[in-house]
Amino acid sequence: MASGETNRDETIREQALGWAVRTNDPGFTEWAAFTAWLEAEPAHAEAYDAVCAAVLDGADLLRSAGPANDGSPAEETRLTPAAATRRRWLGGALAASAALVLGIGFWQRERPAPFVIVTAPGETRTVKLENGTSIALSGGTRIELDHNDARRARLERGEALFTVRHDPKAPFQVAVGEDRLVDIGTVFDVRHDRHGMSVAVSEGAVQFNPEAEDVRISPGQILARAAGSNRYVLSPIAMDRIGEWREGRLTFEGASLDQVAAELTRTTGIPFSVRGAKNAGTVSGSVLIDPIRKDPGVLGSLLGLNVTPRGQGWVIGTP
Amino acid sequence: MSAPPPNSGLEAAFLAHRQQLLRFLQARGAGDAAEDILHEVWIRIATSGTGPVSAPLAYLHSAVNAAMIDRYRSQRQAEKRERDWSGVHDADSETSPEPSAERRLAAMQEAAQVLAMLNGLGPRVAMAFRRHRIDGIAQKAVAAELGVSLSTVESDLRTAYRALAEWKARAGGEAQ
Repeated sequence: MASGETNRDETIREQALGWAVRTNDPGFTEWAAFTAWLEAEPAHAEAYDAVCAAVLDGADLLRSAGPANDGSPAEETRLTPAAATRRRWLGGALAASAALVLGIGFWQRERPAPFVIVTAPGETRTVKLENGTSIALSGGTRIELDHNDARRARLERGEALFTVRHDPKAPFQVAVGEDRLVDIGTVFDVRHDRHGMSVAVSEGAVQFNPEAEDVRISPGQILARAAGSNRYVLSPIAMDRIGEWREGRLTFEGASLDQVAAELTRTTGIPFSVRGAKNAGTVSGSVLIDPIRKDPGVLGSLLGLNVTPRGQGWVIGTP
Repeated sequence: MSAPPPNSGLEAAFLAHRQQLLRFLQARGAGDAAEDILHEVWIRIATSGTGPVSAPLAYLHSAVNAAMIDRYRSQRQAEKRERDWSGVHDADSETSPEPSAERRLAAMQEAAQVLAMLNGLGPRVAMAFRRHRIDGIAQKAVAAELGVSLSTVESDLRTAYRALAEWKARAGGEAQ
């Protein structure tokens, strides 16, 4: 029965190949069906692991070999489009398909019909766009969307967490001041106020100013620019800090008093202002928004600030 | 605070589906180690402070699955190291492991072979594999990029995976 055995192994391997393809896609959700297949026979898991390991080994080798494939001109010629896409996502994507370029051109000619969504300080709101894309707006945020183009947004001020369903034919684009963000399938948080802008990526990736700096922001990274400066800083950020305002938390790292007052006003809905020199000292620390809303006085002990009521609002300063 | 906090979604899914994840680990062949592996994976997720994810349960399964693949791979690599070492030892006793430049060269040659093999499957197959596995683009997006259907991309990837599995099986056979 040797041939019967071989056939059975073949069948298992073919099934394992299919599962390896599907389970390794980020969009895969049928884990229960996959579990059932694995439970049917112990040999299934072994076959699946062998395929997955082989694929990872192969991918690692290709990655280590780099885009230029020295030593074999024939291979290099054939691989040029792929190598190019790896170096530059956008350029590569365009090179990969002329039809795609036309597609984008057409889509850009759609007549804009902008509308604006505004949240009051202390208010949060989630806007659902088509195809599972949603934008969570923090307090004091103003965002411009387009009725005729659900793949564009402009963050005028405030902060918003974008959860974007990727579509390479119409990448989701966010304008932030003069800067432009293009998503590569993703969850990311954008902040824009008079102190500057920042983009933090939690899932997927964002391409920053594809026509200029063309920087890729990966998960766990934040790109920030101070207002009036043309220097961009890309640095790591703790993942749980990205969109943390949705958990009712704020973190400051070497922030100016002015910045702290602006953020607190925006997220609590209570006006905060600064006493004395706006740039005297910096503030670092993490605070919960709700307790501050109940009693802004707690800021004193939390951030080591002097906090006093004045009129309808509160004044913060260095002690 | 109308929106749910990002991380609690993951934790809630973890707590609610613990049994399901354990069952999955059992099915993946974790055996007695299932509880430990699940614990490790969760600690890693919790301490790395994973940000908001769009589908928490699928994300958790995916993380657990990746941990099992890692386990399998490191076991295989350990076995291979042992074999390689004894091979080198037999041929050229008392010498230190081969110099890293030589090893790098060997890796480059191996990479060139894999590259040639994938290219031999056709430019679209090679491109789909590269975009999905090296650049990390989702299959649906790769399909849109290449102007083909999702099932075409799946079948291209399957072709590439089959070739890699065969390559690995051959390499394993030669080593033994």
